[in-house]
Amino acid sequence: MEVRHLSVEVRLEEDIAVLDLTGEINGFAEEALNSAYAEAEGADPRTVLLNFEKVDYINSTGIALIVGLLAKARASRRSLLACNLSEHYVEIFNITRLSDFMSVFPDEKTAVGEASGA
Amino acid sequence: MTDPKPRTDADLGRTLADFSVPSEPGNERLAMETVAESVRGLAFSGENLERLKTAVAEATMNAMEHGNHYRSGVPVELQVLTREQDLLVRITDRGSGPPPTEDGDTPDIEAKLEGIQTPRGWGLFLIKSMVDEMNITGDEGHHTVELVVHLGAEGGK
Repeated sequence: MEVRHLSVEVRLEEDIAVLDLTGEINGFAEEALNSAYAEAEGADPRTVLLNFEKVDYINSTGIALIVGLLAKARASRRSLLACNLSEHYVEIFNITRLSDFMSVFPDEKTAVGEASGA
Repeated sequence: MTDPKPRTDADLGRTLADFSVPSEPGNERLAMETVAESVRGLAFSGENLERLKTAVAEATMNAMEHGNHYRSGVPVELQVLTREQDLLVRITDRGSGPPPTEDGDTPDIEAKLEGIQTPRGWGLFLIKSMVDEMNITGDEGHHTVELVVHLGAEGGK
């Protein structure tokens, strides 16, 4: 079975950097994820939104990578948000307590609206 | 990967699959999809199947990494069985030394965010959270993690 390596597109929506994630978030994803986050930070956004719409697999190493991003975001007083997680990964974000520290939204529109104070 | 063997009646119950995967990064997905295929005839709802897949993937990753040290020539062996009202998935590596403990510390995300704990260390916690029981056994040359899902009216945890 071929690994679907993660690719990340970074775009700005006003003061929100959106990271569109495609593929698997596992041990192979570290460089792509951290590079994209660094690119997003370059624009000094108030909020970074991880869009999981095209992610079909996250393992425990991937959870650790997301914890690492969350630590970076907190250190620079940025909000890190998530959207478009499947029901299963929402459960995993809940039981790991990731969702206590990063808000999870059903879709990008809701996340952007909340982050923009709409 | 060796092909899943045909279904046979075993003393303990019915064997749904018996196969192995090389210890190479990423092969946990192959293991989890093969297990998912083997339980297709059972009454698993979507979310319960997703939980089982995550538990199998994490246990296989642990076996490949900590048991077999990602030596590709050393396989991880998987058996899928039914026994009375339970589904059992047994994942065996060639690890030596004492098997990992079942009662490891619960990961503390606040400590991880503060840099007091490593960001990693979620595997066993996820496995235990996804299935009804997890049992670990071992001898001089093997460790086996047994995942148990009760096949009741809910079809799993």
